Amino acid sequence: MNWPDLGTLAPIVVAVLTAAAVLIVDMAAPGRRAPAIATALVGLTVVGLVVLSLAGHTETAFGGAYVVDALTAFLDLLFVAIAALTILFAADYLEPRGLPIAEFAAVLIFAITGAMLIAGSADLLLLFVALELMVLPGYLLAGFARNDPYSTEGAIKYFLLGSFSSAILLFGLAYVWGLTGSTRVSDVAAALALAAAKGSIAPGLAMGLAFMTAGVAFKMAAVPFHYWTPDAYQGSPTPVTAYLSVGPKVGAFAIALRLFVGALGPLKADWLPVVIVLAALTMTLGNLVAITQDNVKRMLAYSSIAHTGYILVGLAAYAGGQRSGISAILFYGAAYTFMNMGAFAVVTALQRRPGVTSQISSFAGLGRRDPWLGLLMALFLLSLTGIPPLAGFWAKAYVIVAAIQAGGWLTALAVLAMLNAAAAAFYYLRVIVYMYMREPAEGAAALSPGILFRVGLAVTGIATLIFGLFPAILDVAGKAADVFKS
Amino acid sequence: MPTLPILSLITFVPLLGAVLIALLPSKEQDLIRRTALGTSLAAWALSLVLLLTYSLGQAGFQFKEAADWIPSFGIQFKLGVDGLSVLMVVLTTTLSWISILASFGPIKVRVKEYMISFLVLEVGMIGVFVALDLFLFYIFWELVLVPMYLIIGIWGGANRIYATTKFVLYTLVGSLLMLVAILATAFTYQAANGSWAGAFDYEKLQAFAAAGSFGHNFQMLAFLALFLAFAIKVPMFPFHTWLPDAHTEAPTAGSVILAGVLLKLGAYGLIRFAVPLYPFAAHTFAGPIIVLSLIAIVYGAVVSIVQPDLKRLIAYSSVSHMGFVTLGIFVFTATALQGAILQMLSHGLITGGLFLLVGVVYERTHDRSIAKMGGLAATMPLWSTVFGFFILASIGLPGLSGFVGEFLVFVGSFTFAPVIAVSSIIVMVLAATYLLWMFQRVAFGAVSDFLTGLGDHLTDISRVELFTIAPLAALIVLFGLFPSLILDYLSPVQTFLAAAGAAVGG
Repeated sequence: MNWPDLGTLAPIVVAVLTAAAVLIVDMAAPGRRAPAIATALVGLTVVGLVVLSLAGHTETAFGGAYVVDALTAFLDLLFVAIAALTILFAADYLEPRGLPIAEFAAVLIFAITGAMLIAGSADLLLLFVALELMVLPGYLLAGFARNDPYSTEGAIKYFLLGSFSSAILLFGLAYVWGLTGSTRVSDVAAALALAAAKGSIAPGLAMGLAFMTAGVAFKMAAVPFHYWTPDAYQGSPTPVTAYLSVGPKVGAFAIALRLFVGALGPLKADWLPVVIVLAALTMTLGNLVAITQDNVKRMLAYSSIAHTGYILVGLAAYAGGQRSGISAILFYGAAYTFMNMGAFAVVTALQRRPGVTSQISSFAGLGRRDPWLGLLMALFLLSLTGIPPLAGFWAKAYVIVAAIQAGGWLTALAVLAMLNAAAAAFYYLRVIVYMYMREPAEGAAALSPGILFRVGLAVTGIATLIFGLFPAILDVAGKAADVFKS
Repeated sequence: MPTLPILSLITFVPLLGAVLIALLPSKEQDLIRRTALGTSLAAWALSLVLLLTYSLGQAGFQFKEAADWIPSFGIQFKLGVDGLSVLMVVLTTTLSWISILASFGPIKVRVKEYMISFLVLEVGMIGVFVALDLFLFYIFWELVLVPMYLIIGIWGGANRIYATTKFVLYTLVGSLLMLVAILATAFTYQAANGSWAGAFDYEKLQAFAAAGSFGHNFQMLAFLALFLAFAIKVPMFPFHTWLPDAHTEAPTAGSVILAGVLLKLGAYGLIRFAVPLYPFAAHTFAGPIIVLSLIAIVYGAVVSIVQPDLKRLIAYSSVSHMGFVTLGIFVFTATALQGAILQMLSHGLITGGLFLLVGVVYERTHDRSIAKMGGLAATMPLWSTVFGFFILASIGLPGLSGFVGEFLVFVGSFTFAPVIAVSSIIVMVLAATYLLWMFQRVAFGAVSDFLTGLGDHLTDISRVELFTIAPLAALIVLFGLFPSLILDYLSPVQTFLAAAGAAVGG
């Protein structure tokens, strides 16, 4: 490593320093929440600014293992936004439960650092290390409410299945390394292009491909590798669930982009059928099970599985020969981040008082008890449903356009995605039914979320609306997708 | 020369009203009601200006506006009207202010939310009729869904949540498949021209389709997707089952808009998009669609006979009446299509009026069951007279608008296949049966015990209520006597047939 590398790595360095600073501030002023939160938010802002200052040109570090390009910048900004929003939403939730915010913020920022490292990985080994750096703090966060048995149960399941899937992924990476002789993404792609040109792929490579697919599918919670998701999501403290439903998911898709598109792009005809099947299963099963849920947190967990399926349609479209599939994935990731975090934030607000469950009955009459919260929840749910002109609609539209352009089986997949979206409307609208068409329960107190929380909600709400009205804003997703030339 | 963007104005004036109302405190119920009425009247006045300044006999679209929206996909904010859209816009704005006025009494809780929903609904409905970009059309189409969902779900009857969920899910299944078809259509255009520019532009796509450039297999699939979306909305048999529930559970004004405008969105979509863009497929599927229309006409009428509930009866009669519309569209003669469009307008006026009148009784009795009524002619004489008038209009009494529309469809379909015309005329007898029988049970005979028990609550129709219904009655007579007033606007019928004919030739 040399000094110029440090400039390229600046966002990650600043992120690590921020996490450390939060811990130091907490030691200096133990028990005081404001300084820790302020440090975390200021630090994340700086990370964002550094990312922006590097944006626009491509640089590499560690002799090419780490790369900063438009894709890295896009994903980094998204991860920073996820971390900042999670902290904004968590403060209100953790305080009444006596959980420390400083440790929470520090662990979260470490996790985000890992995600940012994934975004810039141009080497399979670095990719794996970055992945572990992202998910290990995630296990801690899932078990953050350590006196709550559900939280602990969820964390253990998440940890066991997560470690298992990491091992499978690593196994797959090892096969690829063994058969191509390199861990550098560009070299792997070149070697595979040669292999693909010969017409048949080695059995070992097929094994590696299968292992890697399974590993990544675990991380993104694609059916049938999704079993950890509902329990981990339902058991975790709600702000953590908000984070888990977007952070590691976007992270997993970042891996998919760097690994499947970057390194395994030449073999895309071979993994296309697998992705089509995964996408079809994931969205259909996620939706069908979500319909039967009475707990909003669990419902959103299954719906996040369904959304994974829609995003996989974008990956399938890429494999089917449409590069627009990549920008569709990125747009979906950004839109999904804001609308889904917003929806979880409203659940968090309801659960501000310990003891309030996330059962759908808790939502009864919310539209009247707290009109703004109700309105925002309705906005997020409609966006998740895919009603225009909200962010979620464009996300689906772009994915569908890419799939239709690819044609063939992918057109059928697009039709299936739309039928799924219609089925999803049922359970999203059910929450709206409760909020607006049922009377509030006796003695339901008014909710008074704190100022940080309101800021977070405003950001997610405005983003959901603005991305919907002016989707051209996210044309940067197209630029980020241009990283992959073929 | 920069001209006044009148279409944008008409479309977004109600939105302005909705924003204004959102800023008012919810306690100011009267102010909210007046603001809603005021903005809907403003939109109506603007639509009348549009109606009068529209130049008749000129082909193509007028008052066009266009601005780029999402340039990377060539999606535009493009509006424009032809005679058909003008008529539909005026129907929408007219029924909107009438419905809002008719909601003054019945809607007492959450007035603010109600009026906001209603005005947003109006934006969506007008937008569907004026959009000339397929994507924009789709957005307005979906925009209609949410406020109607809320209107039925919050202010509806006892079984409202079941009804509103069913309504949304049915509509959404259709419309999401329509989205796939729209995107596929745009992509086909893009692939042929090498650029996204104009790929969603209706005029360009229509020209593209008229040149026979859409492949036959593609047309079949895209047409089926669009047809499903529109057929659910119309609703055609067998996609009609959401309608009786939604109509019955919706508040009075909601039923008026559902019957008056929302069903017309489906028919409009068929005329504007499904047939001209995919003429080959439209001709291929015309046979089955005509059969389905005939089934709807007969089935709707037969089922109406046995309905115990006033609103449900009118709802099923809508299935029957809208069957004439789809029949008129798919026999592909100019006369039948003119009849179909006239029937769309006339059904909006007549059924809107019927729902308003049932609403008047419901306000007083809180019941809609036919069995409990009886002798209303004695207790509410003026109401019974007006109700009788609308029932005669619905049966298709010559001299009223309902007759002209159905008659033109008969004549138009007679040249196509006499058997269709004959069998559909039988339905007029059925219509007379269920409507007159219902009128007899409700209005004549001894005053029922249920109504006697209400005592003084059972007052005759009030002046305000009469005022909401009078314009509809006036228009029914006007169009019945002078159908040429409408037919003059229907020059696009020729373009439509030309497009459809091109496919048969080619």
